[in-house]
Amino acid sequence: MHFSRTTIVTISLLLLSSCGGGGGSSGSTTPAPSGETPTAPVISIAEAHRFLRQASFGPTPAEVDNVRNIGFEAWIDQQLLETPSLQLPYMDDLEEPENNREGQTNRLDAWFRNVLNGEDQLRQRVAFALSEIMVVSDQGNLFNFPNGLANYYDELTLHAFGNYQELLKAVTLTPAMGLYLSMLGNQKPDKAMNIRPDENYAREVMQLFSIGLVMLNENGSTILDQNNQPIPTYDQSIIEGFAHVFTGWTFYGSESFNQPSYIFRLPMAAFQDFHDEGEKRLLNEVVLPAGQTAEDDLDAALENIASHANVPAFIGRQLIQRLVSANPSAAYIGRVAAVFIDDGYGTRGNLSAVVKAILLDPEARAEPADANSGKLTEPLLRLTAVWRAFDASAANNRYLFAYPEFSFSQAPLRADSVFNFFRPDFAPPGEISKLGLVSPEMQITNETTSVTVNNYLALAIFLQHSAVAEKDEATIYIDIESELALVDQPQTLINQVADKLLGGNISEQLRSETASMMEHWDTQAGKVVEAIHMIATSPEFAVLR
Amino acid sequence: MNNTLQRRKFLKLSAALSALGLIGGPGLIPQARSAEFTDYKCLVNVFLLGGNDSFNMLVPRSDAEYNIYAASRQNLAIAQEALLPISPLDSDGILYGFHPMATGLQGLFESGDLAVVSNVGPLLEPVSKDDYLNGNTLLPPQLFSHNDQRNQWQSLRGTTTLSTGWAGRIADSLADDLSGQMLPTNISTSGNSRFQSGESTSPYTVNNSGASSYGAFRRNAEYGPERQASFERQLANGFDNIHSRALADIHSRSLLYADLINDALRLVPELDTPFPDSRLGRRLRIVARLLAVKDEFEVNRQIYYITTGGFDTHNDQNQDQPDLLMDLGDCLLAFQTAMTEIGLSDQITTFTQSDFGRTLTSNGDGTDHGWGGHQLVSGGAVLGQRIFGTMPSLEIDGPDDVAGGRIIPTLSADQYAATLANWFGVDDSSLDQIAPNLPAFNLRNLGFMA
Repeated sequence: MHFSRTTIVTISLLLLSSCGGGGGSSGSTTPAPSGETPTAPVISIAEAHRFLRQASFGPTPAEVDNVRNIGFEAWIDQQLLETPSLQLPYMDDLEEPENNREGQTNRLDAWFRNVLNGEDQLRQRVAFALSEIMVVSDQGNLFNFPNGLANYYDELTLHAFGNYQELLKAVTLTPAMGLYLSMLGNQKPDKAMNIRPDENYAREVMQLFSIGLVMLNENGSTILDQNNQPIPTYDQSIIEGFAHVFTGWTFYGSESFNQPSYIFRLPMAAFQDFHDEGEKRLLNEVVLPAGQTAEDDLDAALENIASHANVPAFIGRQLIQRLVSANPSAAYIGRVAAVFIDDGYGTRGNLSAVVKAILLDPEARAEPADANSGKLTEPLLRLTAVWRAFDASAANNRYLFAYPEFSFSQAPLRADSVFNFFRPDFAPPGEISKLGLVSPEMQITNETTSVTVNNYLALAIFLQHSAVAEKDEATIYIDIESELALVDQPQTLINQVADKLLGGNISEQLRSETASMMEHWDTQAGKVVEAIHMIATSPEFAVLR
Repeated sequence: MNNTLQRRKFLKLSAALSALGLIGGPGLIPQARSAEFTDYKCLVNVFLLGGNDSFNMLVPRSDAEYNIYAASRQNLAIAQEALLPISPLDSDGILYGFHPMATGLQGLFESGDLAVVSNVGPLLEPVSKDDYLNGNTLLPPQLFSHNDQRNQWQSLRGTTTLSTGWAGRIADSLADDLSGQMLPTNISTSGNSRFQSGESTSPYTVNNSGASSYGAFRRNAEYGPERQASFERQLANGFDNIHSRALADIHSRSLLYADLINDALRLVPELDTPFPDSRLGRRLRIVARLLAVKDEFEVNRQIYYITTGGFDTHNDQNQDQPDLLMDLGDCLLAFQTAMTEIGLSDQITTFTQSDFGRTLTSNGDGTDHGWGGHQLVSGGAVLGQRIFGTMPSLEIDGPDDVAGGRIIPTLSADQYAATLANWFGVDDSSLDQIAPNLPAFNLRNLGFMA
């Protein structure tokens, strides 16, 4: 499927006009209660750095200064107002891709550009987190539609600080999700043909995007019945109820239900003739009456899901896990869930307030409590942290990196299935399992990937830095000029690299090992990149405390 | 066997890392047997991610049964005359055929190297339709959910919180007998899984060409050996955070095993048997190559885990399923041919698992999540050319259908696992540890292994 140039222009105009009119719900977001910024307490480099590892794609010296100057809360408030950086407009400005593989690479280029250089760091970080909870992927039937995936990511970006229910609706109606979980083209039953509505989206929207499988307390703990067993949130009949709700939708602008337009940039549209008009049994004993339109059924069904008691803790816990720590305490989850339920202004599902609560929570801000705290940083975010710390760029002003997953086991919207690269409850065998704790990112960490991650970092540091003599136009180089100036003062140099990558929290051992390795080199650049490599590939850097 | 050098080198490294506190001791779980193994056996698990629609993989060809099948499947039915005929040795009087594109499966079956285990799935106890409808029976939690049912197949945990997998428990239980092995019992080509997670043992992951090794530590990299020594000192120093420790543990294992594996692979040229250039083909190919050099690792028991995806055919099933089943058949046939080539056919058993079977009814152009389904077992030690178990009724609302063509399994995933574990060398008395729900079923061994 290929769009002609004119189609793209027309569609982007449509998109722009609809966004300007508040089509994206981000415009109508209620700001989180912020209050007066108290006399700014002194924030250390380490504290600011740790905060920015949680809230951005990697601290930069300038952003660390900014946080130290204005404080955590003011920084978040500033971020809430930043203009969203989107993918599709950028992709539209590129030369038309030769093929879909190249189109997917353009999509990743847009992603890297936004997460490395976008001013809206927090929004980008939350959008990425959402892309790992509400998953679509180019591995499968969306491979041919990079623009559809970019549109999906843009919706996550636009709604990252919006309302959860509106996010859910936007996600549900994107053609990318429609194709990925087969709601697009799903139609009312045909008894004679043994055809019943497709249950794919009905199941996963509940299991993965909203409420999960079992009833939760507000603090995320599992409610047990009298036999000490978890209580399922839904049964097959409820899945069938939702499967009937999600009938009748296909691409906007399709001539007929079975003649799809392949317009990926606008929400799907309904064909009433293909929508099931019977009663539908939903969650919490709600039954939708017969005879409703597809649109009314959809709105009521998403309201039914979004108002379920599980949503605050289920979504809150996963957002904490993506941003702050693998094993948040029940109290922490409970505090975040409470803000999800009511942002202080009576609004449920205000994601900007939720994100703020996550990042300002005492458990996120206090010194790491013990050995169980923090999380393994996602492999791809280790790369973005290095690239941001050392202002990486290519001469052609692009980020052409076609297959991050070969080295990092992940790439934006490229999971193997709707279950993401890793599950929130993954526990590796050994100490973590025995303690009953989890470490989701360990699911993609094994004897192969631990090596490929470090090998890519070695490549990106040793061979792709600003002092390399013969540069390539499309290669991404880190900027080591300010480190080169310090090369005669090894300890100062190590301090600077440690500040950039670790917020200064470097162990004595890593410091002395780094110093000894630097001594081997007699070139200036060799000393610098050795220091960066030592720290960037250390288990210290891989973990966010 | 001329691998004393290799062993000496490995033991030296192993001792060094162990002295640094990086490598733990053998397993601590109650022992299944005391005698050391002298022979070699290997299980190869091919996990079909997403839920294979196996009721289109093996289809009745006799008119009466075919007509029931076709009435249920409607636009997803395979044409009767297109099915690839097979001649089971233990006929139940009904003719069967494989999917028209599964020529590899037909070939393996007819040559006696493949058996079908019919309608197997996660169960905690035998279930009848009445019991199911009346809520009168114990069921695995979250039937029809991908990751939960995959988890059941791999862990057999039932309603418990057991976090290990059955291959992990096999490795745990045999740990003392296998303590001389130079590689972990469980090896994965496909990353981490519940299946291979043990209490005291962990799997080791390879890539499609062997072990990944650190570029920055290579001898021809500037200061590579010094950098590796520095990295090892950091790992040995320990970390004060569980996530760092888990990562450091993986790094230690990467360092320990990479040369062993890659040196061994260099000893042997490629096998003559060609493999399909698919994800499954490439993964089976590296397993075959590692098996060809297994003596270098001084192993007696190994379990490999391989996944292949695309089986979640909610849409475009008629378009996608032919390729999936062709690839599966071609790959299993290539692997079996390779095992014969290296003379290990009788010692290696390959078996499939999958999230679940799929609905007999259609959602228009695909199928949704079901329950029971057929699995395949191949190898020289398999009683091939047979269909084990009872073929279910494929009638919508028939005796085996709980709703929409979701078929109640007649055999349990525990029985299936126990049969394989028993062949592998786990005593009958220890099988309940491997397959915790086994006591609920009369048959402790399904009899498909010689």
